[in-house]
Amino acid sequence: MLDIEVTPNEFTMVFFDAAVIAEVAADVAVKVGLPEDLKLSLIVDEGSPLGRSRVSSYDPIEFTIDGGAFEDTRRPRNLSKARTADVLGRLMYRVIDRSSGQFDDAPEDGDIDLALHAAWDAHSVGRLERLGFSPQRKRRVYQFRNRHGFTDRADQAFEELWGSSELSWADIERLSTGCRA
Amino acid sequence: MRKIFPAEELARDSRFIRQSNEARFSDPRGARVGGGSAASTKLTPEQANGPDRARALMHGIFVGEIQALEGAGRTCFDFEVGEDVPFELKLDMARQCWDEARHCEISVALADHMGTELGEYAENTTLYEAACNPDPVLRLTGVNRALEGLAIDVFSTMKEFGNLAGDPVLEFCEDWMLADEVTHVKMGSDWLRSLTAKDPERRSKALEFQRVVDKLFSFSGFRGDDEDSPIKLTRQFRSLAGFTDDEVDDIADLAREAKAEAATA
Repeated sequence: MLDIEVTPNEFTMVFFDAAVIAEVAADVAVKVGLPEDLKLSLIVDEGSPLGRSRVSSYDPIEFTIDGGAFEDTRRPRNLSKARTADVLGRLMYRVIDRSSGQFDDAPEDGDIDLALHAAWDAHSVGRLERLGFSPQRKRRVYQFRNRHGFTDRADQAFEELWGSSELSWADIERLSTGCRA
Repeated sequence: MRKIFPAEELARDSRFIRQSNEARFSDPRGARVGGGSAASTKLTPEQANGPDRARALMHGIFVGEIQALEGAGRTCFDFEVGEDVPFELKLDMARQCWDEARHCEISVALADHMGTELGEYAENTTLYEAACNPDPVLRLTGVNRALEGLAIDVFSTMKEFGNLAGDPVLEFCEDWMLADEVTHVKMGSDWLRSLTAKDPERRSKALEFQRVVDKLFSFSGFRGDDEDSPIKLTRQFRSLAGFTDDEVDDIADLAREAKAEAATA
């Protein structure tokens, strides 16, 4: 079973429960197929209502996440299990992709431009949706178009990213750069 | 039908969840608007969270359009012609209802375009509450000049966002709604001056009410006159809507004041 540590252990600015976040993370890890012998650290910045999230370390695995990313946008300061699962699932796919051998030529996350981030996210979230996670296709289309242009060519590239099960970094790069306005 | 309808009883279906002002302003992380805060930088597509901030802001505009429709509708009904207001004021409010209803429909289509669900974000009813003032002059000053004035600033910012992102749908929708908002603000400016022409005390009260609403809706400086303000005060359109340069300067000062207060809180 995955060893998950959530920091902080107790939240004071938002109504989050570290144990619930760990439960959601464990459930998502099983569904996306993260190896069970891993240790995962989740660092949540509860003081930030923004929605940023990133893999801050691949070895050991550590995710750094704004509290707002886990928040129920209908009920501010409350945890949304669905959004928590979406964010963690997307980041877990980054870990899985990078360990697949198909992403060895991908730059460090911090060196990837916004368009490539949007393309990789589309590929990850498409896979999550097929696993039964909350639908966010339209939101991802909008983000993708913002980075690649509001064109038919961009929409076609999005469809391929969204619908494919196993793309390599070279595929993502080709689709993203090939459709930019 | 009763007059002055309370905000708590506005009709909404189960998709909409309301957040009280108390909850909003007691959030220890700071009050938020449109997925950002006063500490946020100018909203542009180049920001990593730009598209999501735009979605949140447009949802805020959508619920604002619903409340503006409800407010203008109430103003048509709450006051008696002759005793309280001239008939022409009601005609203006009826026209505004027509515009706001169209804006609601545009906003629903825009939400779909941007991948936002209706009710995805909490609704705050401060706009409608400003439309409950029992004095029609204060109501029009608070809603049409302060809040519709804010709408001018937001629509200008979002129109620019659409232009920079190469999103013609967003850009054109914002442009069309912006044209209506300028008219709504002009209505507020015209009625304020006409109804208080011989009553300087009432005009002064109305302008004070507008200052209160403007400060509240500067969201601790989220909307301001500085280059890095997430939502920028739009001087050109405000001038077309009957604002003097001094009045716009006053709103800019209020925003800076609110930002400074938030920073020291």
